[in-house]
Amino acid sequence: MLLRIVIDLLIAVGLIFALAGTKGVLKMPDTFCRMQASTCISTLGILGVCLGGLLYAIFVMHSPATAVKVALIGALVLFTNPIGSHAIAKGAYQAGIRPEKPMETDDYGRDFDE
Amino acid sequence: MTDLMIFAVLFGALAVINLVRLVKGPTAADRMVAGDCADVLICCAMILFALYSGRGVYLDIAIISALLGIIDTLLVARYMDKGRWLKYVAKDRH
Amino acid sequence: MPKTKFPAVVSTFVVCYAFWVLLTWTFTVQELAAGAVVSLAVALFSARFFIHERAFWLFNPVKLGSALLFWLILFPVEMIKANVDVAKRCFGGCKNVNPGIVKVPVDLKSDYGQAALANAITLTPGTITMDVAEEDGQTYYYIHWIDVTKPSGQEAGDAIKGTLEKGLRRVWE
Repeated sequence: MLLRIVIDLLIAVGLIFALAGTKGVLKMPDTFCRMQASTCISTLGILGVCLGGLLYAIFVMHSPATAVKVALIGALVLFTNPIGSHAIAKGAYQAGIRPEKPMETDDYGRDFDE
Repeated sequence: MTDLMIFAVLFGALAVINLVRLVKGPTAADRMVAGDCADVLICCAMILFALYSGRGVYLDIAIISALLGIIDTLLVARYMDKGRWLKYVAKDRH
Repeated sequence: MPKTKFPAVVSTFVVCYAFWVLLTWTFTVQELAAGAVVSLAVALFSARFFIHERAFWLFNPVKLGSALLFWLILFPVEMIKANVDVAKRCFGGCKNVNPGIVKVPVDLKSDYGQAALANAITLTPGTITMDVAEEDGQTYYYIHWIDVTKPSGQEAGDAIKGTLEKGLRRVWE
């Protein structure tokens, strides 16, 4: 019984952070801030779900193959997500997307926008 | 048992809410970020549904979905920065 | 094009084979033999892109211990703190943001260390590494920061990546 409560708590923490990220994606003022909010979903959101699923697969289902696959999904998302995030941020900046309110410190534009 | 299914439905609903930004977003980067978030959330929902139903097939689909999400993000990013990476690499090599 | 080295092939083969066994999770002889053939082919093809420096650093127990310490304890603590911060900003109406791009010096020398530090910075919400530049032998990152509180340079670097860089320097040194 205690185990089920712990599993539900972990998944609920993931859900709360996914909700925060979704609200940020919908409401943040400019493109780069939306990217920052989306990082919230893909780190603690999926980490909570994977930890809860890992406990469930080990202690309730007793199936090591399922546990390994759930852990692998978490590790793959955590390893590959920053690469895509970095690439899309750089691509957005170089395609000429700027926030409506100009940023106060913008060293990248100063150094590379001739 | 049913709590996993409830959480899976909630994650799916969050993914659908993300699609609002995908329809509305003013630039391509916004659409790509929203699509990526929806991909990760659907992946979460698929994990929970696989645990609920006890079938491992959904986990394989979740792995493939997570891996394809990164590839299309990289493709769109490459399209948006007009191939500038190619120039940097070429300058480094010669 | 760089040449394929034997230790690089061995360590790439070990990684690919571990991945195969974890994914299939059946221990019959045919599966294991097919996995060995496929991972040997992959290792021969991709070892020269995958490994540039020493091939066996992960098999050193001291390095492995500090890598585990970093990825299991130091980094999750930083990540959870940053997550709570960004979630507060999101639930608080998305108005108290002060975005900007700062330029930060990095002291790590190894390529893998720099890549791991950039990925760790991007994984903590609130900071995204945008580009890497090298000037006069010193490496700089351009980091998009959601709440710029410190001026660009060393102070912003300490605020963003102080703990992460200290932990990673113990692994790649």
